[in-house]
Amino acid sequence: MTLNLCVLTPNRIVWDSEVKEIILSTNSGQIGVLPNHAPIATAVDIGILRIRLNDQWLTMALMGGFARVGNNEITVLVNDAEKSSDIDPQEAQQTLEIAEAALRKAEGKRQTIEANLALRRARTRVEAINAIS
Amino acid sequence: MSCSSLTMLVSSKPSLDSSSPLSFRSFITPVQIPTSNPSVSSHPTSKSSSSSIHCSLRDLRTRIDSVKNTQKITEAMKLVAAAKVRRAQEAVVNARPFSETLVEVLYSINEQLQVEDVDVPLTNVRPVKKVALVVVTGDRGLCGGYNNFILKKAEARIRELKTLGLDYVVISVGKKGNSYFLRRPYIPVDKFVDGSNLPTAKEAQAIADDVFSLFVSEEVDKVELLYTKFVSLVKSNPVIHTLLPLSPKGEICDINGVCVDAAEDEFFRLTTKEGKLTVEREAIRSETIDFSPILQFEQDPVQILDALLPLYLNSQILRALQESLASELAARMTAMGNATDNASELKKNLSRVYNRQRQAKITGEILEIVAGADALV
Repeated sequence: MTLNLCVLTPNRIVWDSEVKEIILSTNSGQIGVLPNHAPIATAVDIGILRIRLNDQWLTMALMGGFARVGNNEITVLVNDAEKSSDIDPQEAQQTLEIAEAALRKAEGKRQTIEANLALRRARTRVEAINAIS
Repeated sequence: MSCSSLTMLVSSKPSLDSSSPLSFRSFITPVQIPTSNPSVSSHPTSKSSSSSIHCSLRDLRTRIDSVKNTQKITEAMKLVAAAKVRRAQEAVVNARPFSETLVEVLYSINEQLQVEDVDVPLTNVRPVKKVALVVVTGDRGLCGGYNNFILKKAEARIRELKTLGLDYVVISVGKKGNSYFLRRPYIPVDKFVDGSNLPTAKEAQAIADDVFSLFVSEEVDKVELLYTKFVSLVKSNPVIHTLLPLSPKGEICDINGVCVDAAEDEFFRLTTKEGKLTVEREAIRSETIDFSPILQFEQDPVQILDALLPLYLNSQILRALQESLASELAARMTAMGNATDNASELKKNLSRVYNRQRQAKITGEILEIVAGADALV
């Protein structure tokens, strides 16, 4: 019995095949999903998705969204998703530094909200690369 | 008699180089050369139909060459735009699974939340004092009236808002809109976003972030999206959609309050019918699969809606960007197609005039030679 994982972004389908296990980060902590999991619906936070295929773990950076588990089918709807193999380490590091600088410079409620979001996203991308290495 | 007329020909030769062929042509008529007569009589009529000023043969030749080059360029631009429309269409098709699943989930969650009153920041309906307008234009020109229509609609909406006494701010997407608003500092612009060849989720995310923070920090009370809806290859409609506040059921509302159920979304497809490119719109009603009744929400349903609605916002903005791009490409295709046709017609007219002049010049030279040979004899 294997799980079928579908990761959808508004652009394209990022992942659509079978996996053995996944670990999602949600607002209320991390959830591990094995085959025959009870049906749940959860919001997905900006964080890392870990996928296990035959004792090999893959990481993906997710930029927030929603996930639904049921009947051995997992559907993850996110704003953007990047496989860690697709992320350039230096570029991700640079984006992180820029986001940190922007947060320090931010004034007012609006800029702070934006800067915070950008920082969390940049941090997730860097973590996704560090997680495998 | 013929001798005297011929000498007349020879003596007036110096004047020929400086003056236009007009004087030369009028000179031919008294000599009554039958070959040039029909050309002379028909020349004035063709001149009035083409309505262009002819200088010399060389200038005409340069002009014909430049028109030919322009025609090649416009033809190439048309083909490039046609290829890009196909890519834009593919992007729309790729975006379908996401929006379909999203709508499904929204529906089922709403059904389960019927009893509760949902209070999510993005659905807050506040008394409107300030409105944000997101105006989507193109990056480049040469696309007919595409950019102009949208900007005119934006101006009209701004006037409406002014008469209603509401404050406004503009978020401009696309280089054409950016330069338009830059030249008008009396319109407050919040952010300039550069468009791109193929709108991706990242760009939609940037606009969504901006709009989200504007709305949540209560700087604006309503966000409207101005983009061009793709109706057909020759027709496109600039429309205004209310982006925020969202209705929890996921309906897409027009400014007049006309709401369309999100499940009955329309998708367009570029196909060929009888060998010509056409666009077909399909209104698809996505099936709402019954959720398993024991579905548990990991978090508060409100929190889940909180996570879903930004996704929905994102996909709406992306849809608008993609449709605008498709309309721009279609407008460019039509405009460049018309330009190519005009160029070929212009080239035909110019060639006709050029050939007539060339023949007239040759005839004149023959006459001079004959006259000169006659005089020597």
